[in-house]
Amino acid sequence: MIATNVRRLGVYLMLAFAVVSASAVWWQVIEAHSLSIRTDNPEVIAARRSLPRGTIFDASGQVLASSEVIDGLSRRTYTDPAFTHVLGYSSLRFGTTGIERAFEDILVGQTDPNPIRDLIGDVLDRQPQPRDLTLTIDRRLQDFAAAQLGGDAGAVVAIDPQTGAILALVSAPTFDATPISGDPNGAQEPMDALRNDPAEPLLARARQGLYVPGSIMKVFTAATALDAGAITPDTTYENQPREEREGFVVDGFAIREHDLGGIQPALWPLSPALQVSSNIFFAHVGLDIGADTFLDYARRFGFCAPMRIGPPDRGLSVAASYVTEPVDGDCGPFRDNVELASASFGQGRTAVTPVQMAMLAAAIAGDGVAPNPYVVRDVRSHSEDGSPTDQVLETFGSGGGTRVVSSATAAATRAAMVDAVNGELGRLYAGQADVTLYGIGDARSAGKTGTAELGGEQAPHSWFIGFAPAEQDATPRIAIAVLLERGGSGSAGAAPIAGRIMAEWLRLSAGS
Amino acid sequence: MRLTWRGAEFRLLLPILLLVPLGFLVTNIALTGALETGDMTLAVGFVALFVVAHVVLVASGHRGDQLILPAVGALGGIGIIMLNRLPQDLAGTSAFGLELGMAATQLLWFAVGMIVMLAIAVGLRDDGILRHYKYSWAAIGIALLAATLVLGYEVNGARLWIDLGPVSVQPGELLKIVLVVFIAGYLAETRTLLTSARMRIGFLSIPPLPYFLPMLVLFAAVMLIVVVLNDLGTALLFFGTFLTMLFVATGRRSYVLIGLILFVAGAWVAYQLFGHVQARVDVWLDPFADPLGAGFQPVRAIYALGRGGVFGEGLGQGLVTLGGSLTIPFVHTDFIFTAIAEELGLLGAFALLGFAMILVFRGLRIAALARDDFGALLAAGLTASLGLQTLIIIGGNTKLIPLTGITLPFVSYGGSSVVASFIMIGLLLAISHRSGSADEEAAG
Repeated sequence: MIATNVRRLGVYLMLAFAVVSASAVWWQVIEAHSLSIRTDNPEVIAARRSLPRGTIFDASGQVLASSEVIDGLSRRTYTDPAFTHVLGYSSLRFGTTGIERAFEDILVGQTDPNPIRDLIGDVLDRQPQPRDLTLTIDRRLQDFAAAQLGGDAGAVVAIDPQTGAILALVSAPTFDATPISGDPNGAQEPMDALRNDPAEPLLARARQGLYVPGSIMKVFTAATALDAGAITPDTTYENQPREEREGFVVDGFAIREHDLGGIQPALWPLSPALQVSSNIFFAHVGLDIGADTFLDYARRFGFCAPMRIGPPDRGLSVAASYVTEPVDGDCGPFRDNVELASASFGQGRTAVTPVQMAMLAAAIAGDGVAPNPYVVRDVRSHSEDGSPTDQVLETFGSGGGTRVVSSATAAATRAAMVDAVNGELGRLYAGQADVTLYGIGDARSAGKTGTAELGGEQAPHSWFIGFAPAEQDATPRIAIAVLLERGGSGSAGAAPIAGRIMAEWLRLSAGS
Repeated sequence: MRLTWRGAEFRLLLPILLLVPLGFLVTNIALTGALETGDMTLAVGFVALFVVAHVVLVASGHRGDQLILPAVGALGGIGIIMLNRLPQDLAGTSAFGLELGMAATQLLWFAVGMIVMLAIAVGLRDDGILRHYKYSWAAIGIALLAATLVLGYEVNGARLWIDLGPVSVQPGELLKIVLVVFIAGYLAETRTLLTSARMRIGFLSIPPLPYFLPMLVLFAAVMLIVVVLNDLGTALLFFGTFLTMLFVATGRRSYVLIGLILFVAGAWVAYQLFGHVQARVDVWLDPFADPLGAGFQPVRAIYALGRGGVFGEGLGQGLVTLGGSLTIPFVHTDFIFTAIAEELGLLGAFALLGFAMILVFRGLRIAALARDDFGALLAAGLTASLGLQTLIIIGGNTKLIPLTGITLPFVSYGGSSVVASFIMIGLLLAISHRSGSADEEAAG
């Protein structure tokens, strides 16, 4: 009796051993290859530890990041903290972020940009050859922009609207990535300090920070309304002057104007409405656009989904910007007309990244075409002497882009944005963004300030988006978004910073 | 007493014992890059232990099973080769004026275990002391648990250890054996009642509870304390062993089924109630969700299995450390199987599983051939315990089931585990000797 039961037990245990053996087969045979190519595989990390890593140069050929192998360990040195949130870090202890992560395999040379050479290298089991990267960012502009923010939290994103090349990508506060990327034994303490810092220096605000946009959103509302045919540049709303004083009642909720100072309300069409940043006018415009069209254009401009700076497989990630409450990573529906009207002037449930708003400015500056942004210009063979080699292996930034609005729409929006900086009323708000104030005699700025109310006692976010040169027949060379976290009004805070940075770029790019 | 020429045991031990010094040699060449033998003391010591054990069994005319010792030698051999290959400062002892590294300490425990095993295998001529005093054994078990509860200290969140001056012991390892002895004694006595009485609820025939009660109360108490001690692996092992013994005693699949339903219900309640249980299950379901935090160990283990592939990276060539710290924490105890699978590949893993299976099937054979019910149940219980422990920890390594911190018998580092496993082998050999089956086997 017992002997029979023991035999049956033997069969069950044999089955159990078979199942356990099969689980070993699963990892050691079936999944072995897919495990071997994952970046957090310690084997990959171990290889990276000792391999030399390519140098990263700025657009003018200055070293931003370089490695040397000390005692068998590859240590990374970064020369300029202003680039930390672009390059990321390559830490033996904390992994990689930013460009260091996106271009990992190229920097350590595990992948040759040329697929045929890559295959040959694989077959011959060649030692990996590190490659160097060159950025589209000129260090001089990046440093200038970082200095403009001073010690304040904020972000600057500048794009060449014609090519999509990133000209500046600043997140402040920043930090020196060298201590956490050098000796792994000394990396924990500085990392802990960064993690515990209430100023959140680890947050790449330009790409990952989400902020209420305020009035800079009116550029989107204007372009959308013009393109969808909801308004013309001459459309006015007859009740608007009265509503400026008494409030615009939408579904029983009174939308109020911001403080217009000494300006007397009048029957304003698009240009003056943008110049004084009339909430009432844009609330009307938003309602005329309608919820569906509003969301449709938001997606065209790149809202409602994560973005990438660079090619899809090697992009710097940018958080999704939203015009409504997000649902499953997409913009959800507008709850009611009050929310739609509020989103039209950048309040409601809008939350955006500085990169997204720079892209909005670039699309208007680029004749209605949103460029494909990129920040790594090319891959070169490794340089041993601190200056880039001539051997370019791969280039990025093929130009092109996505048309989001018609050329006519872009032109009309641009004209209104030029007025918003230079017009009689606009000067009172965004006049400080005028590049002529900073030594550029022959160019005009276009743009829009934003003062994003956060509710309660908190100071508002200070915003500016715009581009230059923007006068008729000029081709804009820089589109920009400037954000100062809780920096007060857009006029006093972000606008002059944007003006100086745009002027600096016009100077630098004219010289080179 | 006359000599028994244990020829099968000798012939099987020979190749296994030759492979251990070879393993040491290969490891040394791989690690140093020099064609030298390195220090062979431990390998020779290991071989000597098994030779001595074989000689003692021969000299004492032992007629017990002849495949058990070679299977233990193979498992222990793979274990000592791997422990010798790992960094020696992971564990060790500095007691008795000696400074011993990990592998040396393990060998020392093998010697202690081997002596205990031989004493039991040769000396335990009458199992009455086990059978008749089952409640005393149960009391000892409870005392051990109480001691752990009161005197124990925590390692990794589970309070399992008692500090005894020079050494720390895990009473749970001994409790495992005591519990099996008690249950075997109890079931041997009440088996007829348990099988004849029938109560049915629907299609399930449920156990006649009154007869079960003393055992259930005791067992429930033990389980409760073990769970309180946060030793989930041991709890699972105890429960599995208990169910297996119940099945062997009664032949009722429904009892096992009821037990499993209770287990699932209990596990669900534990998942709802205890944060650490929930955390462990979540890590099991998706270790990659937090690869640098909670999922660190399982993720690293999976990568090690993948690196091993079919043929392995070779002894001494696995990625044991990364930047001065272990690639897999607790590689010498909880994850020894993973280290073996990495360096010896799927083939090495299969070899290990094969040796464990041989041990299990010889143990079951001893149970089937035992002269009385107590011997059969005891052998089945001990075997089930060894087999389930092997399955639970290897299954935890391969993410088949949630990871629990128990040892791989004869392979993992750990004195209490080694000695307890040798005691179990000693008991199996003693039972086997009494049924006198060795002679026919050797002839065949």
